[in-house]
Amino acid sequence: MALKRDFYKGLEDILGPEFVSDDPVITETYANPVRAGLPTGARFEAITLPKNTEEVQAIVRLCNKHKVQYKASSTGWLYSDPAGPNCIKIDLRRMNHIIEINEKSMYAVVEPYVIGAQLQAECMKRGLNCNLTGAGSNCSALPLAAHVNLGHLSQSGSYGERNQLALEWVTGDGEIVRLGSLGSIDEWFCGDGPGPSLRGIIRGNTMPLGGLGVYTKAAQKLYHWPGPATFPMEGVSPKYKPAYIPPGFLVRYFSFKTLDLMIDAVLKIGEAEIATELMCFNAAMMASNLATQNMEEEIEIYNKFKDSVLGPGFMVLIAADSARDFEYKKRVLQLIVDETGGKALEEVEDPENQGGYVWRYFRETGSIKETGRVLAPQAGMVGGGDSFPLMSYFIKSCSKVKAKLIADGSLFDDGTSPFIQSIEHGHTGHGEVLARISIRVKDPRQVQRVINNASNEIAIKEFFGVPQHVWSDTLHDMYGPNASNYHLWLRKIKKTFDPNNASEASTYITAKE
Amino acid sequence: MIEKRKLVSIVSAGNVISEPSALEQYAGDMSFVNKVKPDYVVKPRKTDDIAKLIKLARETSTPLVPVSSGAPHFRGDTVPGVGGAVVVDLSGMKYIIRADRLNRVAMFEPGVTFDELIPAVTREKLRLNMPLLPRKTKSVAASMLEREPVLMPKYHWDIADPLNCVEIIYGSGEMFRTGAAAGPGSLEEQWAAGGAQVEAAGPSSASWYRIIQGSQGTMGIVTWASARCELLPSLEEPFLVGSSQLDRLMELVHWLVRLRIPNECLILNNCNLAAIMAEKWPQDYKAIKESLPTWILFYNLAGYDYLPEERISSQVEDIKDIAQRAGVEPAHTLGGVSAFELLKVVQAASAEPYWKLRAKGACHDTFFISNFQKVGELTDTMSGAADKAGYPVPDMGIYIQPIVQGANFHCEFNLFYDPENARETGRVRALATGTINSLMARGAFFSRPYGEISRTIMNKDAATVMALNKVKMILDPDKIMNPGKLCF
Amino acid sequence: MALKDYRRDMETCRRCSPCKFMPLEKVTGFDRINVCPSISRYDFHSYSAGGRMVMGTALLEKRLDYTDKLLEVIYNCQMCGACDTSCKYSMDMEVFESLDEIRISCVEAGHTNPALDKVIKSLRKQGTMVPGAKIKRGDWAAGLNLKDCSAEKVEVLFHVGCQTSYNKNMWKVARATAKILKKAGVDFGIGGENESCCGGRAYHMGYKQDFLDQSKKNLVLIKKSGAKTLVTGCADGYNTFKVLYDKFGLKGKLEVLHITEYFARLIKEGKLKPKKAVNMTVTYHDPCYLGRQGEPYIHWKGKEVLGDLRTFEPPKLYRRGMYGVYEPPRDVLKSIPGLKIVEMDRIKEYAWCCGAGGGVIESNPEFAMWTANERIDEAGSTGAEAIATACPWCELMLGQSVKSKGSNLAVYDIVELLEKAV
Repeated sequence: MALKRDFYKGLEDILGPEFVSDDPVITETYANPVRAGLPTGARFEAITLPKNTEEVQAIVRLCNKHKVQYKASSTGWLYSDPAGPNCIKIDLRRMNHIIEINEKSMYAVVEPYVIGAQLQAECMKRGLNCNLTGAGSNCSALPLAAHVNLGHLSQSGSYGERNQLALEWVTGDGEIVRLGSLGSIDEWFCGDGPGPSLRGIIRGNTMPLGGLGVYTKAAQKLYHWPGPATFPMEGVSPKYKPAYIPPGFLVRYFSFKTLDLMIDAVLKIGEAEIATELMCFNAAMMASNLATQNMEEEIEIYNKFKDSVLGPGFMVLIAADSARDFEYKKRVLQLIVDETGGKALEEVEDPENQGGYVWRYFRETGSIKETGRVLAPQAGMVGGGDSFPLMSYFIKSCSKVKAKLIADGSLFDDGTSPFIQSIEHGHTGHGEVLARISIRVKDPRQVQRVINNASNEIAIKEFFGVPQHVWSDTLHDMYGPNASNYHLWLRKIKKTFDPNNASEASTYITAKE
Repeated sequence: MIEKRKLVSIVSAGNVISEPSALEQYAGDMSFVNKVKPDYVVKPRKTDDIAKLIKLARETSTPLVPVSSGAPHFRGDTVPGVGGAVVVDLSGMKYIIRADRLNRVAMFEPGVTFDELIPAVTREKLRLNMPLLPRKTKSVAASMLEREPVLMPKYHWDIADPLNCVEIIYGSGEMFRTGAAAGPGSLEEQWAAGGAQVEAAGPSSASWYRIIQGSQGTMGIVTWASARCELLPSLEEPFLVGSSQLDRLMELVHWLVRLRIPNECLILNNCNLAAIMAEKWPQDYKAIKESLPTWILFYNLAGYDYLPEERISSQVEDIKDIAQRAGVEPAHTLGGVSAFELLKVVQAASAEPYWKLRAKGACHDTFFISNFQKVGELTDTMSGAADKAGYPVPDMGIYIQPIVQGANFHCEFNLFYDPENARETGRVRALATGTINSLMARGAFFSRPYGEISRTIMNKDAATVMALNKVKMILDPDKIMNPGKLCF
Repeated sequence: MALKDYRRDMETCRRCSPCKFMPLEKVTGFDRINVCPSISRYDFHSYSAGGRMVMGTALLEKRLDYTDKLLEVIYNCQMCGACDTSCKYSMDMEVFESLDEIRISCVEAGHTNPALDKVIKSLRKQGTMVPGAKIKRGDWAAGLNLKDCSAEKVEVLFHVGCQTSYNKNMWKVARATAKILKKAGVDFGIGGENESCCGGRAYHMGYKQDFLDQSKKNLVLIKKSGAKTLVTGCADGYNTFKVLYDKFGLKGKLEVLHITEYFARLIKEGKLKPKKAVNMTVTYHDPCYLGRQGEPYIHWKGKEVLGDLRTFEPPKLYRRGMYGVYEPPRDVLKSIPGLKIVEMDRIKEYAWCCGAGGGVIESNPEFAMWTANERIDEAGSTGAEAIATACPWCELMLGQSVKSKGSNLAVYDIVELLEKAV
């Protein structure tokens, strides 16, 4: 369905003709950015490139006026891209400024197309660090961009829902709301109030994924960084090596005979507050992070790791604030590992490997390798939040499905060991089933459907909460009646703040009756 | 007007109060808001009672004013904003549902006070992140719902902490559980699966607890809440640091919080610390105050299960370096105050009489949040305004609390006054309302506006007010919940 | 190989966007993290490697046609290969080769860019990528009395290249090269009028057949010269002889060295001794086709294994930019007494392009200049007095930028600085 010319002309008037296009060559690349194993999708009617909030607002209002839908995205990795007919894309690429880094109040304010690596690098120059979304530092640094914004730092650096401070929001119908201190006194340090916090509307533990207007600027908490201003990586891509491991830094990988022993160790480490990062990566993910040459090398490393681990395990990273702090943390780590029977993966302790791991885990450069390196389509299931043990048991249950799919040849055999992570020193947790669909599978979506169906049934029947892969009317309508009818309330938010259903919401919830 | 018999049919006769003298106690509080007598006070005993009350209120368009804490109240939020209201007094709902050591969480009804909850969590080797000396009658749930600042900034990741999940009956009459508590499953089923209602956000793409917090009962009535708890330390060593210069202590606080070293960490002026520690008035108060420098930082180091002595001794040494750079020196005693004594005091609710009332019988708090850079100037601004208004600045209590792990600072000015002295009262009232604009102009964010100043503050942000009213229409479409408060 | 043979590579793209940025491990701040001039200038995702991978697939699936817009997007790219290197930090896919194949498919389908057609016309007619040249290829060597390798045997063949030969402003570089080689006692010669374009630029514009035609001419000369080693000061030429000729099985045992590699070797062997001080602070611009694209071609023949993941038998090795030529030019600069090197933010495998590549200097001079201006700004921020490079196309582009911006930076080829020192 072609756009009406007066609408298109309206876009040109807002942006200038250079920053709007409805040419299929342009729209195709937004419609089908990932092709492997997937059918082709519909194209957006046009792509727009606003440079500031005012332009975003003008586009949104124009869409509302002409009853055209829009979908905004920042760095745009995957889920914000589905387009329906009569929908345009708002590509926020030109909104790429760091507005403020406040060192003493430890927060940063960014626009959507500042990427994680940029913000982190600037923070580190100031002795600070930021939580990056687990997808990697190639993604937007806006805490509202990623679906969840959990990251490797979440053990000590929380995640988007909780790191968020003030923000600027263009609502579905084109109002600009500046949350918290921003609206009252033009300052970024607080996102809540006066009175009730509108932070509760603009996201939950997951994001509306472009279905509730556009978030144009946001502040987030920062955390202390005890390392150097720039990490001492030398060499040439992809074989970067550290010139040295900064003092007070350490990475280890421990595996355990049982999941319960691992949970025990994770909770104890959390309570002792000794870990900067703690991610229950499986052996395959550890191998992905180390391999630089090709998939065959990765498989070789994995096979070696697989034979070395006892069972479920985790990567733990200490970045201490002083020599005394480091000694204390190391000793406590050893005590806990001894108590729980953890076995170290020796390859991780090799100084060169360890230094590389340290930096890759802070900069989060390994996520693409872990998930997308090979043609095999990524599959999986994103669990919810709540206690670390609950998430561990949930993933354990879901892993049975994965094991079946491995057995029937649908998935690559990566051992099925769960991927779980501890948040805020073990106060909460999160887990995912990550899987690589075998390239021999003709319809990868069918495998994903099997995983979805099984995990949804497990989540509901075994009371594991609402997973974070729940988006779309279908899934909300499935979970809502089992979870306080939240879907009805969510739908009311959508309807209230986007009365014309202009903000395309297929990955959020629509305002259907 | 609502019929009493209908209320009686819900909560029983003994739990409906209509005697004028009793209603008078709910008609006003120690704030400057106008008195409005409710028609009734009802005391529900369980969730079902509350659901029925809300249903009845909707049918009869009766305003409901939820109250969880016992008197005295200070901020006007529990005083009916309009006539014909029914106060829903939840202070009798005192069931402690669960204290869970493994997942560091406690769940309880809204009438549970700090002194009631502390022993229950202590038995599980847990502790609460306490606000500063809440009064004996203060509801823990209410404290969390009001986003009251807490003493341990390292465990205050988010401004909403330590609130986890709540069960609420919205003004629309529907029951809802926030966060992980939403489901699937009953609480018991969730516990059996390993769940603990510790995830506050969600379910899914909204975080309802944030809308309920700070709403002063305008969205619905909370029937239980879960609170994030921390481990009970196995060893503690508290310190005091004095200075005549606030900026030196702020510098030290910044680094202590940034490195997440201490548990409790707060700044008081000599007036407030003396008010907290004095036992015999006025002689103790005067002596302690005179023994202290203007500003006092209090912080507490803690060790847990593993190598607590090593942990604390390493932290003591690390702090020495930081304190030297800031030009101050930590000690176990300062003037007439022992850090160990103070630690004991702040880990419980206030002894009676409530510490803010000891000096003069009444106290008005002006409080807001700001960031590190603005605290000093805002303190000066408030002091200047007090001086100009004729309020004796040396008698003004000041409390500065780093929150949100150092991203924000709660600044509180305690204006003690004699409620029987009309001139003094008028002066404090004028000061409390007259300084808002100048403080806001210098970076004070009144995130929790109460009473008389609410309108002034809310009016600064029309877009937020409009958005909040839209949310209000979703959750309380008949506007029965505490009308007249905030922007509603 | 044809575009269809790269379908699996193109489909491997995950839209993760590192093709737009320097390798993320190396990001040290907010500024200058972009490596792709095309997406940096035009912003639509389509102008990134990821976008072009989608286009390539869509062309194969007939969901896009060779429209003017497609050509505009495809050709507004310098083929600098930075996307390829950044992508391959994580991924196993041939980005750069896919881009080449998309262009080749355009040309083969008869959809070409008029500005580039003009260049190719010149190539076919005059054997040069510098259209409208009024001078002869060997004129630069007048009076130097150099061996004509089409007539006599030499150890080393000095391939001068189109830009250096046909742009009088560049003659100084060729002459300096010859003088230094002589001084080092190297037995070398030049092709003079018998030298012809290497064909590499034509290949990367999509004119594969013209590249092959040119290669034949050059192979004749190389054979005739008896040279075991070919040196060139042109990064494009270097990549062509070393990588492309190898890819097409044309290189044989010929040793191909960039002149900076050769001089670095001579200096190391003590055959060249830079003695005179050149008191100057210099920043070095890595030419794309000497740096990341200077990595040797990897011959691999095998097939995809029908397994769970995309693996190959035998395992496939990828050119990831690791073995590009980064140090020899720096070694030469470091050997010059008094000269101080300061590095830019984007260097080596993630260096920003000068703007001249991929036919952009001819098809979209404004974009080429925009790209060069970005580099000159970056160079200026180092505090250097001069920017040195090792390719005439880079020197040309950077020089034009300096002139248009009124910058105080001097632009040199490394050889010119070495000449001052020896």
